[in-house]
Amino acid sequence: MGLLAGKRVFSIMALCMMVSLLLLPIVVALPSLAIGEEAPAGDAAKKDGDKVEKGRDVYYKTEGIVVGAPAPKTVDGPRDYPRYNFESRVLLWFANQQHLYYGSFVLAVPIFCMIIEFMGVVTKDKALAKRYDQLAYDFIKISLTAYSLTAILGGILIFTFLTLYPAFFSYLSGIFRPVMHIYALMFVAESGTLYIYYYGWDKMKEGFLKWIHLSMSVILNIIGTLLMFLANSWIGFMMSPAGVDEQGRYLGNIWHVIHTALWNPLNLHRILGNMAFGGGVVAAYAAYKFLASKTEEDRAHYDWMGYIAMALGVAFLIPLPFAGYWLMREVYAYRQQMGITLMGGLLAWLFIIQATMIGILFLSTNYYLWQAMGRMRGAEKYQRYIKYLVFILACGYMVFITPHTMVMTPAELKAMGGQQHPVLGNYGVMSAKNGGINVIITTTVLSFVWYMRGNKVSTVSWAKFGNIFMGIFFACAYFNIIFLAVYGYYIPANVRVGLSVPQVATTLSCLFFMFALNSVMMKGAKQLGPIEWGKISARSQYALIMLATAFTWMMGLMGYIRSSVRLFWHVNEIMRDNSPWAYTHTVGFAANMISFNVLFFWITILFVFWLGSLGAKKVPVESKAGIPGGVPQPAASH
Amino acid sequence: MSALNNPVVAVIVSLIISVGYFVFVDHYLMDMQGLDFWYLFRN
Repeated sequence: MGLLAGKRVFSIMALCMMVSLLLLPIVVALPSLAIGEEAPAGDAAKKDGDKVEKGRDVYYKTEGIVVGAPAPKTVDGPRDYPRYNFESRVLLWFANQQHLYYGSFVLAVPIFCMIIEFMGVVTKDKALAKRYDQLAYDFIKISLTAYSLTAILGGILIFTFLTLYPAFFSYLSGIFRPVMHIYALMFVAESGTLYIYYYGWDKMKEGFLKWIHLSMSVILNIIGTLLMFLANSWIGFMMSPAGVDEQGRYLGNIWHVIHTALWNPLNLHRILGNMAFGGGVVAAYAAYKFLASKTEEDRAHYDWMGYIAMALGVAFLIPLPFAGYWLMREVYAYRQQMGITLMGGLLAWLFIIQATMIGILFLSTNYYLWQAMGRMRGAEKYQRYIKYLVFILACGYMVFITPHTMVMTPAELKAMGGQQHPVLGNYGVMSAKNGGINVIITTTVLSFVWYMRGNKVSTVSWAKFGNIFMGIFFACAYFNIIFLAVYGYYIPANVRVGLSVPQVATTLSCLFFMFALNSVMMKGAKQLGPIEWGKISARSQYALIMLATAFTWMMGLMGYIRSSVRLFWHVNEIMRDNSPWAYTHTVGFAANMISFNVLFFWITILFVFWLGSLGAKKVPVESKAGIPGGVPQPAASH
Repeated sequence: MSALNNPVVAVIVSLIISVGYFVFVDHYLMDMQGLDFWYLFRN
């Protein structure tokens, strides 16, 4: 009893320490705000009796006292752009991308841990609860090694900035000076919390202590998310600066600098993207372990792990295109020219590649789900309909990736009769593309619904009506999406642009209503047979690896597009990039560079996985003992 | 409830609910943006 009380006190102390760590940056920041350190120039000017210089915020249009130096006017030379015998931008690109990959991974995995640990705590089935707990532990174990690598890559990134872009880095760190130390302290808080969370796992595995442990994961994720928001504010400032005047002089309001026009869309997009990416990487890890497994039990465990990771990843992948729409909409609202450069100008072809990758992600997900139906008895009834889903997906995909215009030789141009193909050219516009992607997502939702009811027969009295209603609702949703896509061709652009909102709402209606209805219908449903975890084709695991690789590639691509849209600006319209590399690379070069980054990431993450396997903690014997036939219990629940 | 399990009734009721819902979604969400969903039909 005394030991338990001691543990409780220790746990509460640990939790309090973490909360203190979380609040530490704010507390440290308070004195500087209180004594007005943010406005030294203004104060100095007042003391000297000089006239206070005021500037107008380039975005918020408010007046403020100038407290910072103007953005430096750089010149190409060793002072502003020292270099090795290599393109500095490529070196920075590499360091940045690797740091982002690992940063995304270590921010996403603790969120998964939190969800899975919570599922373990609330699950009444003890064997299943242990499995969830072990899974969450496996997840955090993977992220621990990756976390060290993230910190090392962050250091490399800062040194790359300092060495190759000193003038720019000096300006940016000057602007964000009031929050730079907060970022660093948050990082310390994140590390401390992560280590206590990981090493306290076994000591806090039951009862009240487990809840304390779970609370630590919540704090860990709050710190991680705040860290990401701060990092996002830097790129938001570079794309859509605020809080400075037209010369780039800081006007004393740090919130304006952080809260730029694109900050919130970037935050949302990155959270969802990180989660989908993290899910993909863990699913690929599970797939690799599945393929390398020698026993039925291991195969069953890693099959289940891959499914959970994939399901979590896809849950965040589905709303990701909508977050992307919001980001693009805000980009257009901020600077129309920037939006045109992205979607209809210099970078438009990269969006075609992006569409291809998004399509691959959804096709891989659907393929995995169809393959996964093979491990449950009763799901055969859906097999004969899969070909129709393939047809729908293929149509949606082909429309989605059709370019607006093609790069052609004069002879090809003449043969086709113009820049646009007389038939296919119609599919190169947003109206058709919105229809295409919404059809793809709705089909993915349908595949999920089929998977969830694969081995079940509803026993509710209104089952027949429920099934018919679901079928008709999906059919009407498809009709509405396609109707809106076609309707867009017949109305003016200013009205057409609004059609994407009901299209998205239609897809989301299918997602939420049909998932909810299906769950109600399947409550207490008759089981035709258990899900036989581990009895899935090897092809499905390659689909998971494909999913993760495609996501990594797409992240690299989107990062490049987002960064390139600034063209020849370090900070858009404020600080010009005068280095010899202030031009946009060719699509081929960018694709090679992205592929190199992807390859490097996957080689190093394999190393991380290998390191993690060195200290592998075996699944507790008692948790396996309760599993009939070595097949894990979550079989009945997805 | 048993009447709803009649396929014909179920199809009709489902169609009414689904079509009504999507028409409402289209009209309301366009209206919310200050746009006219029925633009083509009115002109």
